[in-house]
Amino acid sequence: MGNSLNAWSDALAGFQPAGLPLGLLIIAAIPLVFIALYALTYGVYGERKISAFMQDRLGPMEVGKWGILQTLADILKLLQKEDIVPTSADKFLFVIGPGVLFVGSFLAFAVLPFSPAFIGANLNVGLFFAIGIVALEVVGILAAGWGSNNKWSLYGAVRSVAQIVSYEIPAAIALLCGAMMAGTLDMQQINILQSGTYGFAHFFLFQSPIAWLPFLIYFIASLAEVNRAPFDIPEAESELVAGYFTEYSGMKFAVIFLAEYGSMFMVSAIISIVFLGGWNSPLPNIGPIALNDMTTGPVWGAFWIISKGFFFIFVQMWLRWTLPRLRVDQLMYVCWKVLTPFAFVSFVLTAIWEIYVP
Amino acid sequence: MSNPTYTAIFYLFAAITVFSAAFVVFSRNVIYSAFSLLFTFFGIAALYVFLSADFIAVTQVVVYVGGILVLLLFGVMFTNNIMDTDLKTDVLHAIPGTFLFLGILAALLFTFYTTNGWMPSDTQLQGSVVERIGFETMSRYVLPFEMASILLLAALIGAAFLARYDNGGTNEH
Amino acid sequence: MFELPSGAEIQSIISILKSGLGFFIPEIYLSILFMGLIILDLALKGRNKSGILGWATLIGLGGSFYFIAQQHAMQAGEHFFGMYVLDEYAIFFKYFFVASGMFAVVATLADRKFDAEVKSIGEYYALVVAMVIGMVMMAAASDLLMIFLAMELVSLSAYILSGYFKRDARSSEAALKYLVYGAVSSGLMLYGFSLIYGMTAETNILKISMELADHGYDPLVMILATLLIMAGFGYKIGAFPFHFWSPDVYEGAPTPITAYLSVASKAAGFALLLRFFYIAVPHGVSPYEDILGIDWLTLLVIMSVASMIYGNVVAIWQKNVKRLLAYSSIAHAGYLLLGVIVMDEIGTQAVLFYLLSYFLMNYAAFYVVVLISNRTGSETLDDYRGLGSKMPLAGAALTVFLISLVGLPPTVGFIGKLMIFSALLSKGALYIWLALIGVLTSVISLYYYMLIPLNMFLRESLEPNEKSLNPGFLAQLMMAVLMILTIWFGLFFEPLSEFARYSSAMFGLSLY
Repeated sequence: MGNSLNAWSDALAGFQPAGLPLGLLIIAAIPLVFIALYALTYGVYGERKISAFMQDRLGPMEVGKWGILQTLADILKLLQKEDIVPTSADKFLFVIGPGVLFVGSFLAFAVLPFSPAFIGANLNVGLFFAIGIVALEVVGILAAGWGSNNKWSLYGAVRSVAQIVSYEIPAAIALLCGAMMAGTLDMQQINILQSGTYGFAHFFLFQSPIAWLPFLIYFIASLAEVNRAPFDIPEAESELVAGYFTEYSGMKFAVIFLAEYGSMFMVSAIISIVFLGGWNSPLPNIGPIALNDMTTGPVWGAFWIISKGFFFIFVQMWLRWTLPRLRVDQLMYVCWKVLTPFAFVSFVLTAIWEIYVP
Repeated sequence: MSNPTYTAIFYLFAAITVFSAAFVVFSRNVIYSAFSLLFTFFGIAALYVFLSADFIAVTQVVVYVGGILVLLLFGVMFTNNIMDTDLKTDVLHAIPGTFLFLGILAALLFTFYTTNGWMPSDTQLQGSVVERIGFETMSRYVLPFEMASILLLAALIGAAFLARYDNGGTNEH
Repeated sequence: MFELPSGAEIQSIISILKSGLGFFIPEIYLSILFMGLIILDLALKGRNKSGILGWATLIGLGGSFYFIAQQHAMQAGEHFFGMYVLDEYAIFFKYFFVASGMFAVVATLADRKFDAEVKSIGEYYALVVAMVIGMVMMAAASDLLMIFLAMELVSLSAYILSGYFKRDARSSEAALKYLVYGAVSSGLMLYGFSLIYGMTAETNILKISMELADHGYDPLVMILATLLIMAGFGYKIGAFPFHFWSPDVYEGAPTPITAYLSVASKAAGFALLLRFFYIAVPHGVSPYEDILGIDWLTLLVIMSVASMIYGNVVAIWQKNVKRLLAYSSIAHAGYLLLGVIVMDEIGTQAVLFYLLSYFLMNYAAFYVVVLISNRTGSETLDDYRGLGSKMPLAGAALTVFLISLVGLPPTVGFIGKLMIFSALLSKGALYIWLALIGVLTSVISLYYYMLIPLNMFLRESLEPNEKSLNPGFLAQLMMAVLMILTIWFGLFFEPLSEFARYSSAMFGLSLY
């Protein structure tokens, strides 16, 4: 498998018809297409359908069978909308905000290994890069919030940024526990270390009893990082209309939504890579029935990581329609007085476990 | 690094860094200055990548964009009437300032271009540096590492003290 | 790709680190004290909290003397891969900084303004200890990285301490000015370090000096580098072109911190300056290369002369005692630089002795200023009128300390100046004019220092109030002891000067 690692991406990168580095562009476009497709199908449609089922409703039913074309219709509508920039808005920041936000959430896809054979950029500091590039999203949110020249937008932006910056700390320390178990920050390497014939038993989550603690901490912190309920105070409808994108409409609104769903998948993919084996098959070889070997390979890898990601997105949506929203002070309390100390504890325990136990 | 593509990309990032830094200084709008700093920081991170210091590059993004720039923007946004204030000092020593700037610039450039006594480092970096950084931090540079932890603890305590709401002494006389 | 070193290599690294730890006990002790104070602050409740914390800091700092004294028996050498040096010179400064930290705590305990202005004192003492750690490391650092980190630790703690009266606008202004100047000057210093690193590819100052001696260097780069590095060091010592922060900071900061900054922070700057320029920068062997007849020693001469003249002349017009002492401290930085210029053992001894005497007289003067402002609530010169009859002991003590600051016999300040000037003159006719400037500016300083006793004893108070202002028994005792010590060491200075001579041994110094 080591030989086939990154084979597709290397081959694509070498694809240079007429000296033009077309392959590189294709590599960059793959996550983009993926985000767009998934945001259309699973993100918006899934969210509406899941919320409907949870509330004993039907959800969108009109456009297409079971309303399956609803989001496509929505996108067509958004594309046709007039591109409105409020007169008193700061035009430059208003326009640049969604762009920066989207670039920030999109850049992290560069280091996500989508399959054993495909990773956009196999960085040696991939995990660190994925944590760090969130900073760009923060700047985009601030630009959008300030540029709108609207108090709800500004409140939403400031709340969102305060939340992201604070929750980055427990999130990063929790991921550091995973990195410590792997001994590397290279995303592909982290995946390879979790592969084996026993399937899920090789995943870091099941390798040490302590790994559950950073796993839970990262999951909770990642909810806050992508502004999902119960940490969705930046866009609390009852208080702030829609938070930092109150003033946005048309295609800019769609771009912000793409960025949101992009980050949702990003954190879900990171948690499944670091703790749940990424593109590794969870099925074990049971005696002669080599389930693990059957379900391993570049295409299967893509299938596994995307389904694991979707599973966590489903959990995020499930939580959204189950839990009430936190207050701002409760939010900060959870971050600084609960998650951060526990993250430190799990960090120390993981270090002790890694040194003394195996 | 003789590849012309590399050279072109290097100069692109160098130009982004320099021009956005100039914009930071010359812009009259303090918010634009702050946002322009984003491009400066990213340009510098890209230059670190050219020095094959990938870890430093990502750290630059985390610390400067995620920390300092956000702090700066918060500071600007929470200050009253910041957009109405003209960004000019009352005392402008334009002429001595220009002379000092040109003098230092000339001295530095002259030094860099005329000196050939620079010592090449004995370790030529190839590829990623993150493992080496990890190892060196825990061996040769363990004392500065621990020192930095005390420094940061002191800074944290000081920041907490300065930020805390304080309405006076415990026992007024 | 990076290959992990072999097991034997890792074992040797571990053994070096372990052996280094034995030479590092006072610093570890101080770090534990620093963290212990934070925890103690959280654990303590009640009215006497600030007093308990102050005494705990005092006792804790005093305890470190035991560990420092044990280091005399240890072999001088480099530890932690050349990051850190243990020698008599470093041990001298360890004593010095711990003692000055203790003095700052004593002055804080005496200062009533803290009760009224400050709600929580816990961070204050913790930061005082953090600053002691930073200064101890500054005196012992032998690597550019450690030098920078230690300086930043000192500066950061000092910024917060000088702005500790949060509701006082002057205190906040002081902290902000200090921060801005500090940031700029450490930035310049880093430029200088990077030039040095570019020339040598080394960060250890011993290795830098070897590289420079082996491969030679470009004098232009060298002058540029030393100029930039002097910006950082000059800021710490408060010498002339880099002094702009000091009057405002000294005036605005809490008085114990003013004393702490003016003595300890300045001494830390000199500890670093001496070690850096004596060891890292090549000199002495041959008339080293320079451009346009300017070498780094000339820079020091210019700084020194300018500091002496500027500090002493501008101090004449000051109306605030703390501001006056601030300008006088600029002048004292000039005198101390004279000792650095001598560049030999006698010069180092003179600098160390001068620092000791400056420690005694300056701290004592600030202590009296604290006591007086406790009673009168003011630090302006006019409010000192007629205080001599109300606080006779304080007046007498302050007069003695000021006489010592001028450098008149029979005080310790006289011996300090004497040693500096005689060290200068031992180098021959070259430096006579420098010594002359030093003496002349001392005469100027006589005028403004004596304005304070003049107001206290010879002028009538503006608002006649016959009530005597008793500062309390402990404070009286403290002043008396300090006064006696100032005169005692002026007459019997042998132990101090012996200590200074003994402590002038720097590790790796081939200069003398």
